[in-house]
Amino acid sequence: MALPIRYSLRNALVRWRSTIATVLGIALVVFVFVLLQSLAAGIEKSSGNTGDPRNIMIVRKGSTAESASMIGRQNFQDIRYFPEIALTAKGEPIISADVLVLVNLPRRNHGGEANVLLRGVTPRGMELRPQVNLVAGRWFEPGKREVVVSAKLAKRFANFDVGQSFKSGNATLTVVGWLEGGGSAFDSECWLDADECRSLFERDMYSSFLIHPVDEAAGEKLIARIEGDRRFKLKAEKEVEYYRKQTMTAAPIKWLGNFLAVTMSIGAVFAAMNTMYAAVGSRTREIGTLRVLGFRRRAVIVALLLEGGFLALLGGVLGCAFAFYWNGYTTATMGMETFSEIVFEFSVTPKLVLEGLIFAVTVGLIGTLLPALRAARLPVIAALKSL
Amino acid sequence: MNLPGFVIRNAFRNKRRFALSVSSVAASLFLLVMLQVALRELTNPINDEGSSLRIIVRNKVSLAQPLPARQLQRLDKIPGIVTVSPFSFYGGLYKGDEKFTSFAQFAVDPKRTLPLLSDAKIPKEQLAAWIADQTSCIVGQMTADRYGLKIGDRMQFTGQIYPCDLDLKIAGFYHGTADDRNLMFHQKYLDELLGDPGTVGTWWVLAASVAEAPLVTERINQAFANSSAEVRAESERAFVLGFVSMWANIKTLIGGISIVVIFALLLVTVSTMSMAIRERFRELAILKAIGFRRRELFAFILAESFGLAMCGAVLGAGGAWVVFHSLDIQKLSNGLFVMFEVTPRLMGLAFSVAALLGVVAAIAPMFTVARTSVVEGLKTLD
Repeated sequence: MALPIRYSLRNALVRWRSTIATVLGIALVVFVFVLLQSLAAGIEKSSGNTGDPRNIMIVRKGSTAESASMIGRQNFQDIRYFPEIALTAKGEPIISADVLVLVNLPRRNHGGEANVLLRGVTPRGMELRPQVNLVAGRWFEPGKREVVVSAKLAKRFANFDVGQSFKSGNATLTVVGWLEGGGSAFDSECWLDADECRSLFERDMYSSFLIHPVDEAAGEKLIARIEGDRRFKLKAEKEVEYYRKQTMTAAPIKWLGNFLAVTMSIGAVFAAMNTMYAAVGSRTREIGTLRVLGFRRRAVIVALLLEGGFLALLGGVLGCAFAFYWNGYTTATMGMETFSEIVFEFSVTPKLVLEGLIFAVTVGLIGTLLPALRAARLPVIAALKSL
Repeated sequence: MNLPGFVIRNAFRNKRRFALSVSSVAASLFLLVMLQVALRELTNPINDEGSSLRIIVRNKVSLAQPLPARQLQRLDKIPGIVTVSPFSFYGGLYKGDEKFTSFAQFAVDPKRTLPLLSDAKIPKEQLAAWIADQTSCIVGQMTADRYGLKIGDRMQFTGQIYPCDLDLKIAGFYHGTADDRNLMFHQKYLDELLGDPGTVGTWWVLAASVAEAPLVTERINQAFANSSAEVRAESERAFVLGFVSMWANIKTLIGGISIVVIFALLLVTVSTMSMAIRERFRELAILKAIGFRRRELFAFILAESFGLAMCGAVLGAGGAWVVFHSLDIQKLSNGLFVMFEVTPRLMGLAFSVAALLGVVAAIAPMFTVARTSVVEGLKTLD
């Protein structure tokens, strides 16, 4: 016969003063694990959330990101009139040749400097990226040294308020508006007129082409055509595919999260063992009584495992709650591909919460196993005699 | 029995608990040391003799913006400069590497490079061979060992930044710098592949003396002010710290995690100590009854808790020291960390944290002991 679950739960709670440290310890491990994984998830979410599945993105073969890509002007002339590209009402091909420039700018409150991604974008390019909306001020005017910065970057960089201007090299750019990318990678960009950008930063080449094909089949054909043509050293893929791969930054954070979880959990297992040994020790007589009453060893083990698992679960819930406090909080680091400041949010996903809880319970069960076995092995008579 | 003997006997009375507690303190301290070492390595540039003399000149816009090659003539005329060479970060993917190549490739002027790499040792004939052959390169010893390279081998790179691929012949190996990993090849070769764009990535400048270095930096910045390509010249240290600043909140994050680890440690020690004391409540009451002073009881508790924390520190921090000294961290971390040095300061930090923990963990049990009267204590059953 099994012991009632209530027995385990109430036992876990009755000694709350001695178990609270263990619960908190496990909570901290889970907190660190979930928090770091939520950072990685935030980076993946922001890049996975970027682009239009119909668009085709072209960068130079071998380059990891648009910002490190250079495409000659001749390529633009060659590709522009491909029949696979859709046309506007006026008969112009819907292709945007953008240029990306990294500029080193000071952060607010003397927080050092960091690179910001400037995108010289054409009117076509703006239409092709409907995720981006103006939230303050107005759009830049072509031919003027005006820039619309991401609202999220504006909170982090000096002179990014509407009406202010900043200097880069010998170019002075005036901020005329704030844009918002709806949680996409565009939230880490500043936009200005493509021609203006190329002349200001003396860029002869383009960085990327964004194309709207006639239909999906035409898109596939275009990709095959560009990849197959040896004249072009270009890489064509769906825009969403391109962004989905921009997650190199998340990898080391994930690794760190896993690593810390494992190392910290060693400490947590020891602490849990300590608590459970003490719990078993102080209940020796009680356990003996249970055995006399006819509960089997197995039942005692299960009851104790339940107790430890329940404690750990409490810790896990607490840890997830701590981590959830940060959910949606905006933070930033240097993107490994773009080499510029990327803004993203801590994103505590249900999957992460589940992983955190499973992890906590595992720690609890491992910590309880040895004490439970010891309790089960106690000779009944000796246990009853003990004070 | 004397006091230390009593404390030690008590500590080892429950051997299993003692071992578990020490292990968990040790595991946490090991982690703490490791995090701090990693943070230090990421935020503190490697210094060698030359690093105070080296000045790095980049485009004011950002590192990604090239500089006109014609600036060299102007730089050569600036007083206080021993040598200048272009240093263009090629950033290619080595053939066979999947995603990430752990060593940098720089396009340089071979005739001017060697003085810039202070302490770099390279056999004379290898240097001559490198200078003579425009498609050759020299490779740092660490990289050579890692990939098992031999002189005369060819290395292929796919350009991730520049629109060209490289095919280089190894002319020699150098060693003796703070970071023997990089590959250097001819800027001329890169220019040729690119169709002579007349640009370089950065200039590396060697100042004549440490005293003159800041002046030279100032002179360089002045020389190109208001030109079409304004520059930012800064000491190598400032340049590297600029990179570190770009990590932004991640740095804070590692700091924050260290604090969480310390807190977790505190919980473990406190719970162990209160458990140990609770078990001995009756005993402590007896000690009180036979005339031991409160002060002496405190000393017992403090000594035990302090001793426990210190054992953990010796095992954890000492273990970290041994492990990181004997492991090849560079190989394990895929080139991300080179030195991974556990400095005496970090050991000091770990031990201070442990000492503090030992004291703090003793506080709660001390209060309990102080509050309970002898009679109460004697009444308690376990």
